Amino acid sequence: MPDPIKILTANWDKPDGWTLDVYKKSGGYQALAKALKMKPQAIVDEVVKANLRGRGGAGFPTGMKWNFVRKETSFPKYLVVNADEGEPGTFKDRETLLRSPHLFVEGLIIGCFALDCHLTYVYCRGEFRDGPVARAQQAIEEAYANGFLGKNILGTGYDLDIHVVPGAGAYICGEETGLLESLEGRKGYPRLKPPFPANAGGGLWKQPTAVNNVETLANIPVIIEKGGDWFTSVGLVPKNGGTRLYAVSGHVKKPGVHEAPMGITFTRLLEDYCGGMREGSTLKAIIPGGSSSAILTAAEADWASDFDTLKAKKTMAGSGGVVYLDQSVNMARALANVMRFYAHESCGQCTPCREGTAWLSRLCDKIVAGKGDKQDVDNVHQIARQMEQKTICALADGAAMPAKSYIEKFRADFDALVRG
Amino acid sequence: MIPLATKSGPLPSPFTPEQQQRFDERFEQAVAKYPSERRRAALLPVLHLAQDELGWLPDAALAYVGFRLDVPPVRVREVATFYTMYRLRPVGRQHLGVCNSISCWVMGSEEILKQCEQKLGIRPGEMTADGQFSLEEVACLAACGAAPALLVNNFGYVDNLTAQKVEELIDRLAKEPGKPMAVVAAPDGK
Repeated sequence: MPDPIKILTANWDKPDGWTLDVYKKSGGYQALAKALKMKPQAIVDEVVKANLRGRGGAGFPTGMKWNFVRKETSFPKYLVVNADEGEPGTFKDRETLLRSPHLFVEGLIIGCFALDCHLTYVYCRGEFRDGPVARAQQAIEEAYANGFLGKNILGTGYDLDIHVVPGAGAYICGEETGLLESLEGRKGYPRLKPPFPANAGGGLWKQPTAVNNVETLANIPVIIEKGGDWFTSVGLVPKNGGTRLYAVSGHVKKPGVHEAPMGITFTRLLEDYCGGMREGSTLKAIIPGGSSSAILTAAEADWASDFDTLKAKKTMAGSGGVVYLDQSVNMARALANVMRFYAHESCGQCTPCREGTAWLSRLCDKIVAGKGDKQDVDNVHQIARQMEQKTICALADGAAMPAKSYIEKFRADFDALVRG
Repeated sequence: MIPLATKSGPLPSPFTPEQQQRFDERFEQAVAKYPSERRRAALLPVLHLAQDELGWLPDAALAYVGFRLDVPPVRVREVATFYTMYRLRPVGRQHLGVCNSISCWVMGSEEILKQCEQKLGIRPGEMTADGQFSLEEVACLAACGAAPALLVNNFGYVDNLTAQKVEELIDRLAKEPGKPMAVVAAPDGK
């Protein structure tokens, strides 16, 4: 295995790696000093060149999103951070906030400067209050105390305030417009688009707003430091720059967050970073990017894990939550588990999702209970197909993708549980 | 059209004087994060503050939060019922949320849940007779790398669970005071 490139996890294993002292000793906040001397547009240009793709799940080019916001003429503009990590299988933002909060804060300040934003909110899932949020809050306070935040940052005349605000337990608030609704003090019903958040009328309090994931922003300092071309070269696949925090769980020897070049194959990720499968475990299936993504068979483990490859293969890189499953898992039972989650988390705004996810969950439970027949399995597949592309947000599609793919790729597991 | 009254005059506070002082202090901090004309945005954080004091959100607390933020009662209820961390009826002083999402499930969360049920003598959604424990299933806690995991009182992560760890955890929590639990009748008197 080649020497691991550590951009986001460089300080994770150092004693007190989350503190300002350790961060500054490893060059922390030098990128901020450099960025504040650049023209804001030059920062965005560098991020475009870096081929940084949004790490929350959609993989949207961050630089392009920032350019949308920059082109708007309505002020104030906002950068809102999505730290509402809730996609089953995903836990890398929690680790980032716990283990290198300053890297994220520095990236956030640079991003706000690039967008001419002077007030930013970090929306964290409510359960993070005592751990990740406390760490982030401490980092923010240290940044204020050292002149990286507040009035006249580093003597440049640029002002910025960061506030951390809690969610209260709703998966849907990880959807960026559901998040904005929640941030404004309402239930997290996603908004009809357009207007998109980046455009006037669509963002926080209807102002142009970039919504960025924690990990996405943590990549900004190194892009400023080493340049977009270098960042692009780290990724293994064109248009997919940098490394990625793969949050690995399931039947592997070393689960946890592993930083690997963007686009590594699932085989290499498993063998080189996770120590392979556990004793007695044989790889059966891979969830490639959170529970909303279509499943991979063991034979598909050599697929690259970048956004574009997986999209072409009719699945997605999603949130980077990779779950390796072994032969002990019956995929019909696994689907029943996943469907229960979506049925619970559907916000209820759109009928195809509200009714569809509930139907999928009930049918899967029936199949798992041994009371289903082949028609029920077919019905799961058909209902899933009918839910796609019919709703305001992607939650329904996120439920349909596993439902369809588990059946298409592991039909025998379903047939083993049903009558006739 | 039904009028949505936003102000019904000063409402009685659900807090003791000591709770009131702490709530007021934190209320000001929460509201200060937003532009003054956007203070209603603080609804979620302020509901958390009320629940921190009372352990759950009785009707009187919902009404009071709405009054303090000038948010219509219907909007407060809409939010309080939408988000799962808000408790609209009392839960135990030690409330366990066992994660059942896919990563925890493949690592044995069903066994963990069964063990909690047996040891506490309650099912998910129930509370022990003495009010010390309550139990629910939750998903996903973002602790998948250390699955299976559970959450104590909304914020306390316990991960890499084993049967022994659960046994010790519950024994320990049984002796600790846990979070507050205001004694107010739930809406339906239960």
